[in-house]
Amino acid sequence: MMQNTQAVLLEVKNLTKNFGGLQAINDVSFVVPEGKLIALIGPNGAGKTTVFNVISNLFPASSGDVLLAGKSLVGLSPVQIASLGLIRTFQSARVFPGMTVLENVMVGRHRMMRSNLFDQMFWLPRNRRAEADIYARAGALLDIVGLQQFRDSHAIDLPMGAQKMLEVIRAVVACPKILLLDEPAAGLNDAETADLAGLLRAICDSGITIMLVEHNMPLVMGIADEVLVMETGRLIMSGKPHIVQRDPRVIAAYLGMEG
Amino acid sequence: MVEAVQIGLGGILQGCTYALLALGFSLVFRVTGVINLAQGGFCILGALLAHSFQAEFGWPILLAAAGGIAVTAMVAAVLGALVFVPGLSRVAHGNMLMLTAGLLALLTGAILLIWGSQPYALPPFSGDQPAVLFGITLPTQGFWIIGSMVSIVLALWWLLHKTNIGRALRACSENPAAAALMGISVPGMTLLSFILAAMIGATAGIVIAPITSLQFDTGSLFSIMGFIAVAIGGVGSFPGAVAGGLLLGLANQFATAYVSSLFSSALSVGLLLAILIWRPSGLFNVGKTRRQDVREEARVQKGLIRIARQAAWIWGGLGLVLAFTLPLWLPGGSLLSSLNITGILFIALIGLNILSGYAGQVSLGQAGFMAIGGYTAGWLAVQYNVAPILGVLAGTLISLICAVILALITMRLRGLYLALATLAFGLMIDSLAVGLDDITGGPSGLTGIPSFSIGGLDFSSPLRMYYLILGIILVSLFLMAGALRSDFGRALQAIRTDQTAAAALGINVPMYKLAAFAISAVFASLAGSLYAFDFNYLSPEMVGTTRSFELVTMMVIGGEGILLGPLLGSGLLTMLPTMFEALSVYKTFANGALLAFFFLYLPEGMFGGLVRAFRVIKNRVGHRPKRSLLHEGRV
Ligand SMILES: Nc1ncnc2c1ncn2[C@@H]1O[C@H](COP(=O)(O)OP(=O)(O)O)[C@@H](O)[C@H]1O
Ligand SMILES: [Mg+2]
Repeated sequence: MMQNTQAVLLEVKNLTKNFGGLQAINDVSFVVPEGKLIALIGPNGAGKTTVFNVISNLFPASSGDVLLAGKSLVGLSPVQIASLGLIRTFQSARVFPGMTVLENVMVGRHRMMRSNLFDQMFWLPRNRRAEADIYARAGALLDIVGLQQFRDSHAIDLPMGAQKMLEVIRAVVACPKILLLDEPAAGLNDAETADLAGLLRAICDSGITIMLVEHNMPLVMGIADEVLVMETGRLIMSGKPHIVQRDPRVIAAYLGMEG
Repeated sequence: MVEAVQIGLGGILQGCTYALLALGFSLVFRVTGVINLAQGGFCILGALLAHSFQAEFGWPILLAAAGGIAVTAMVAAVLGALVFVPGLSRVAHGNMLMLTAGLLALLTGAILLIWGSQPYALPPFSGDQPAVLFGITLPTQGFWIIGSMVSIVLALWWLLHKTNIGRALRACSENPAAAALMGISVPGMTLLSFILAAMIGATAGIVIAPITSLQFDTGSLFSIMGFIAVAIGGVGSFPGAVAGGLLLGLANQFATAYVSSLFSSALSVGLLLAILIWRPSGLFNVGKTRRQDVREEARVQKGLIRIARQAAWIWGGLGLVLAFTLPLWLPGGSLLSSLNITGILFIALIGLNILSGYAGQVSLGQAGFMAIGGYTAGWLAVQYNVAPILGVLAGTLISLICAVILALITMRLRGLYLALATLAFGLMIDSLAVGLDDITGGPSGLTGIPSFSIGGLDFSSPLRMYYLILGIILVSLFLMAGALRSDFGRALQAIRTDQTAAAALGINVPMYKLAAFAISAVFASLAGSLYAFDFNYLSPEMVGTTRSFELVTMMVIGGEGILLGPLLGSGLLTMLPTMFEALSVYKTFANGALLAFFFLYLPEGMFGGLVRAFRVIKNRVGHRPKRSLLHEGRV
């Protein structure tokens, strides 16, 4: 197998999650090699978001294990998981209301902040340097996604597409080892989707591993290194995009979704 | 043995009242997800109305009771339609609790205006002669109390399960969106639940009035007891409300009989905490779970107030000059003193604002920390001649310890509980301030507190006090501005609106809440100490629950989430009654009314309003208006 030649960053083993009687995910296993962009696709209700929720331990798995760089994430809090470098976004864009666009990006840097409350209260140079650094990073990222001119606007006044972009760069500024993105292209128009594709590829090339849940097939096929397909809680296949795309089971699953 | 049974009976009677209150809480909570603190106010309103109908109009008692309930229902209809229901769609969920606290203040204030501050009681419905059974005396009123509870429980059950209205109410509580699609008027049903709860509350007040005397401010105690009952039983559960009420009533009566009445409310709070630690969702589980990964529907947020750096320097400079020279312009005397109070309360508000305005955690017990700070410093100075500054530090330390304990216990629970625990904490401190009279001087207060002094320098004149307070405020603002403009402030603001998303970014939500709570307690404690040194005197009502509510109002009308905002609120509510003596009786009423008004119509407060008005003027007068996404991108 090709994965053996690469370090495995995230490994999911026999993951199962039941909600009452409903089996939302059923014995799912996969690995995400370091530095790759892996897409997870599947019709609505297939359990993709639940996979993310269990990995980031928003709620615990019914059984199974998740390893990040060989360390088990089971039983860790979402905060601890984030501090290990696994940062996720949400299907519904969750920018923080009550903060400007720029502040929304800057808050993403939290886990990398080394200045403490004391430094901040006394306006110590250490904190001012740290703040200047985040300010510059956030500004640069806003430039890249073309939101610079809205930096002082109220974040929730942005159109949905821009909020999605904002959420992605807020996650990037946290310097994650691996980024879990839940449908970042939902609500984006074609031009924005193309921009997003470029952005994701660039993030991945900069060394951040990405796992992407997405509905938008052209986006996935264009940028993913490997595609995993889920249907009703099970992983039904995985492989290179062009191979997955032609698989009758995938076509059936997606036709089923359309109908 | 007979004695114990006697006490138990008393407990059951009291428990019935709590159970009725708890039923009202559960009813409104089921339909709206909000704890309606106004509940206790309706209780008192109903009872005092019945008293007036009976004593002044000479109505027979049952007719007077019915009249009291009917008029209370009308008042509830008006408040519900004008404030509560519109608030549900306009006010952030966490702030609804403060809004209902505002309604409670409004009712309390109105009752004070109409009936004054003396206690009232109704005559027993069936005469004074108690019933004696097996050597146990039971006031005949007891049968009325138990009877009305049982009939209300049955009526409620019948209404909810056997009628169309009940089905509609339940549909609203289970799935409001689906209910609306089915053609049910959700606002209508919400209003109905609010009115029904008020009527249940009024009934409770009326039937208990012959055996307990009631006065204008008993309402907050009733609200908190009803809430404790409902939290013990399981918020939203009707059997839980009854069980919780009875349990609490019994615990309360036995504590009063065998320990001391002073500590009965402290013990109630203890009971609550013990049960919540043991079973966070109460004795009866309602078993409704929400998808946590889906965001709560984002309520309309207030606009964003950010002041450009340059403008901040200019205005800050002007403000500083004004602050330093203000005493020179004042006609003197009382204005300067009330300016000092404005400043002292603003110190407490800086802390409250960090907790509520930035981190989004509601606290209704801030004055409890003021009391700890004030009494500790005052008592140490009076009794042991301890230097004021050491007294201040001692008070701060005790407040900090209380805050951390309170937060650690409640933090793991749902957000609501921290807010209510603060209210319970405030009431507990209230009762201790009255009860521990060796230290606090009891109801008449602690007298002979010296003025503040450091080394040889004393601050006995208002003018010196003014500059001391100004200095403390400036240092506090400097420190807090440093933290709030950095990572700390951003983390708090993230927590305020979306804890799940904040945690996903690695923000340690409980730790930041704890920090915000501790900071708020330190500021409140400091303010309390200064208050005691400024007045040379401290009495329980100066730092009681009314004060806690007043602080919330000041913060909201000044502008929460803006560091300087609450200063305007503190100034307005402190200076107005000084300038116009006649206004002071309206204070509680005005607090409640202003709070509701600002929440609904000017959520960014006076400060935000001023900034906005200034921007509009600036855009009109000069430069081309900058078109931004704010105007274009909105759908
Ligand atoms: N917190 C939850 N409680 C109950 N059921 C849930 C919860 N989260 C997801 N589900 C159910 O699990 C299934 C998978 O959902 P989800 O992971 O959101 O699918 P996807 O993201 O692939 O569209 C759905 O049937 C959904 O209703
Ligand atoms: Mg999904």
